[in-house]
Amino acid sequence: MKKFLAFCALLIAAVSYSPFSILAATGSESPAAKVPIWFCVPFAGLLLCIAIFPLVKAAWWEKHQPLVVAFWCLLFICPFAITFGADMAAETILECLLNDYLTFIVLLFGLFCVAGNISFEGDLAGSPSVNVVFLAIGTFLSSCIGTTGASMLMVRPMIKMNSWRKRKSHIMIFFIFLISNIGGCLTPIGDPPLLMGFMRGIPFFWSLHLLPMLLVNMMVLLTVFYFIDKHNYRKDIAEGMRPDISKPGTNIRLEGAHNIIYLVMIITAVILSGFLPSLPAFSNADGTVRGISLDGVVLGFPSIIEIIIILLAAFLSFRTSDPQNRIKNHFTWGAIREVAVLFVGIFITMQPALMILKAAGPELGISMPFQMFWSTGLLSSFLDNTPTYLVFLTTAGSLGFTNGIATAVGVIPAQLLTAISCGAVFMGANTYIGNAPNFMVKSISDENGIRMPSFFGYLLRSFTFLIPVFVLDMLLFFL
Amino acid sequence: MENNQDKCRELARQIYELDADVYQLSGSILGRTFNGDKEQHIATLAALIYTHPQGHVLRSEIALIGNMARTISNKADRSRMMTRYNEILKEIEKIPSSFGSVDIVDEQLAALNISNPDHPKTGDDHLIICIGRTHGSAGTDIGFALADALKINYYDVEIFNMVLDRLEAEKDSFNDRENFDPKLDHIYPSTPAKRRCSDFSRYHGLPKKDAIFFNQSDLIRDMAKKEDFIVMGRCADVILTNNRIPHISIFITAPFQQRVRRMMEVNHLEYKETCKLLKKLDRKHERYYHFYTGRKWGDAVNYDLCINSACYGIKESVELIMRMIDKYPRPHKN
Repeated sequence: MKKFLAFCALLIAAVSYSPFSILAATGSESPAAKVPIWFCVPFAGLLLCIAIFPLVKAAWWEKHQPLVVAFWCLLFICPFAITFGADMAAETILECLLNDYLTFIVLLFGLFCVAGNISFEGDLAGSPSVNVVFLAIGTFLSSCIGTTGASMLMVRPMIKMNSWRKRKSHIMIFFIFLISNIGGCLTPIGDPPLLMGFMRGIPFFWSLHLLPMLLVNMMVLLTVFYFIDKHNYRKDIAEGMRPDISKPGTNIRLEGAHNIIYLVMIITAVILSGFLPSLPAFSNADGTVRGISLDGVVLGFPSIIEIIIILLAAFLSFRTSDPQNRIKNHFTWGAIREVAVLFVGIFITMQPALMILKAAGPELGISMPFQMFWSTGLLSSFLDNTPTYLVFLTTAGSLGFTNGIATAVGVIPAQLLTAISCGAVFMGANTYIGNAPNFMVKSISDENGIRMPSFFGYLLRSFTFLIPVFVLDMLLFFL
Repeated sequence: MENNQDKCRELARQIYELDADVYQLSGSILGRTFNGDKEQHIATLAALIYTHPQGHVLRSEIALIGNMARTISNKADRSRMMTRYNEILKEIEKIPSSFGSVDIVDEQLAALNISNPDHPKTGDDHLIICIGRTHGSAGTDIGFALADALKINYYDVEIFNMVLDRLEAEKDSFNDRENFDPKLDHIYPSTPAKRRCSDFSRYHGLPKKDAIFFNQSDLIRDMAKKEDFIVMGRCADVILTNNRIPHISIFITAPFQQRVRRMMEVNHLEYKETCKLLKKLDRKHERYYHFYTGRKWGDAVNYDLCINSACYGIKESVELIMRMIDKYPRPHKN
């Protein structure tokens, strides 16, 4: 505990002494490594806009989101181009768009389309116990089909089951906690950081070591959820809300169930993107991945194959499904459009923060599991968790351990790797922007009569419910 | 003030209808913003507009309809709905932020009390008397005698049996949780796994007791539209209030020692045993009522009339209630 407190003090001191100073990696030749911290202002500005505008100018924000995103992007790109040159700026943006954003948004798009064609029909009524079971199933499903896949597949049935209730935003919040984030920790398919780890030599089934942490988190969160849901359920009943259960017996059926095939196609594409780069046919003599070069930035063939398969699955899903399913699912492009617009801005403007992290990460002096857990986690709450995970994985690999898991970046002790993995996967739940499905679930809920909390409202709830759970994780597993 | 209330109610109706139209045009089956009983939602919205027209709760509720309206695929429909949405918002902005009132009367509550002289006589209302009672207070006897005197139907365990018929359930697998008869007060047998599965399907994933309560609620509500009756317990007072159905709610109790004495005589029980049993039944009754209504059982503010039956006895209690009802003409006679 003392070490933890000392670590917190160190982090606070580091933050308070370094604003507006230039963080540079000693000996690094890359200009990107000398990015001043004020380059992060557009990122902070965009986050503040996402947090504040929906509260104060909702209609204006909805209409002008692309303009606001463009404004903050330009506010980053122009000074960056002036400081480091237009070529460097173009390369940074292209790299971010092609190798990070494109695959991210195509995967999200594919899963959104396919899941939107699967309609859950039935008169199952959302009660605390049914919701707990549903969340538990979804949590494990996240590790099988990914957090995004499970979220897209289960969000509508969850909304429909609880449509008779008035108080339901807490259900969607715990949905984000468990299905959209924490559940993805058991396999590399579950969450992109773990896939990156798999690509760097961590065995495919090694992530199953995270099962005890998952079970502890599930147990605590589902218990808390049960009591909160029961409290709200009783309030709903007291106000006269009741489900339509006039017909005896429950009929549950899936319409458009053949879309499961396309879902499997997408998951296969994701696995292939992690597996193919290791094959000789897809790598050059120097070990880099082969692909199409655009202005010096390479879009690897494995990524191209992944994109093609996903888009094909989405296309086939639309061609072979009854449009009525989409209408019943209240399928609109609003949610994916909002995420696509906001996240292109987030991906671009967070580049300086990632560069600083890459440069300063190895010099933070972080070597203990609990330090890795909190550092990876807190940064993953706001930044993309995949590069954050890679930074700390590389840092851990460079610490010179001789016992542990042999990876492409060095030998990493199991406890350290567990801490990094848990931090990256679990703490994406801390904010709406911590993981892509979070925002999708929020947007879909907003469109279907559920009053979701604001950015800060969600942050407050995640601090209330998640941080104590993460402290418990630290005490049980990482000290 | 009445004009303002009418205006609020009209606006609430417009909001509700907008939500219904938007939901229909979206084609969704995932649920609308205002699910459930129309009149109940309109009343709640009207109260919200009347008390906090510029409040964030009202704004957020309406914004949810706006969110859904923006997703309507047909442009003309979307534009039409958004125009209606904006008009409603403008109307709400015009409403003054508060309406002063010095009277203690709650118009909504008064409108539901058919013994109130200001109760609007629609001709469709039935005489419905909900009686809550403590065990041993002779409430059941008073209710039965009252039904006999008024020549209207009396419902107690009959509602429970009707629910079972409706659920096509096996009667031996149930206990009437509302019927706090000591003979039924035993530990419920554990349910085998197979039955749990069939129960899950039969009750739509809801706990059995909740499914029964929801069905009881539906039955009471449906009956209230058709006939005059007296209903004993079953949270009927709150069910009818929530469904905006006029009724009279009465709570009958008596001092603890008096109830003990009566129970000992009626059931031939020992003093200690009776005290223990009565306390236990009161606790159970209180928990049940609180679970489904969020209210405190026996709290005077929840009833139109509270009677200490020890002061009147069965016959006088019946006459007391009769005097209350007969003071004003009955709204409808079968």
